Amino acid sequence: MKIARKRKSLGGIPTASMSDVAFLLLVFFLSTTKFDIKKGLGLVLPPASTMADKKVKLKDENITKVWINKDGLVAVNQEEIPLNQLEATIRNLVKNNPDMVISLKTDRKSKYHHMVSVLDKLQASGAEKISLSTN
Amino acid sequence: MAKIKKTTKAVSAIPTASMSDIAFLLLLFFMVSTVFVKERGLRVTMPQAKEIVKIPRKHAATIYVDRHGTISIDDMVVSIPDVQWVMQKKLADDHNVISSFRTDKETNYGIMSDILNQLKEANALRVYFEAKLKR
Repeated sequence: MKIARKRKSLGGIPTASMSDVAFLLLVFFLSTTKFDIKKGLGLVLPPASTMADKKVKLKDENITKVWINKDGLVAVNQEEIPLNQLEATIRNLVKNNPDMVISLKTDRKSKYHHMVSVLDKLQASGAEKISLSTN
Repeated sequence: MAKIKKTTKAVSAIPTASMSDIAFLLLLFFMVSTVFVKERGLRVTMPQAKEIVKIPRKHAATIYVDRHGTISIDDMVVSIPDVQWVMQKKLADDHNVISSFRTDKETNYGIMSDILNQLKEANALRVYFEAKLKR
């Protein structure tokens, strides 16, 4: 009777696909890593004017007052307007008078997000001179 | 008759055996050398806006204001009157310092107004109001 000779199997870890695994991991981390990028609405504040002579007098026709009350309602020059019309209104005002300063007056009890959404609209309308104040 | 030597054809192939070593080395290098800036800050829900721009991280000092009015500048809880000297100190280190607000959307605007006045006094006039992109 013929007895089949047992072949000794070579014990070894296959390393051929090792690079695939490593590159896969590399690509995975490259694509899933998310850096925390800060984004927001920019503004430059006016310097604190302690001396009276430093104060800049503005003509009344160059100022548009935008009010936000504690419930988040918006008024432009004493006239209440809905938020979605604010951008167009301010755009017209700035177009007619490029020196127009928008004075944003927010109630102290108003919520912060009301002010941010109005500031967002003001910046979208192309207004460059924006001042923040409170009543 | 002279014997002619048979020329053996040189096999041209790029050795790929060490490819995995290189990939793992890169992987390990980036894993070890990556340092995440961990800022604990305060728990805030940021408002949404459309006109947001990238804030230069290099000069930014993050001011957290949560819905209860707690203020934290670079992981240091401060009260409103202290904002001025903290920012003055930052301004002395970096005269291009940017105050980047991470304020909860439900915060009362009065607190923000007080902080902005403190920034004016400290002469830190560049501010950004951080917001999430509104879709």
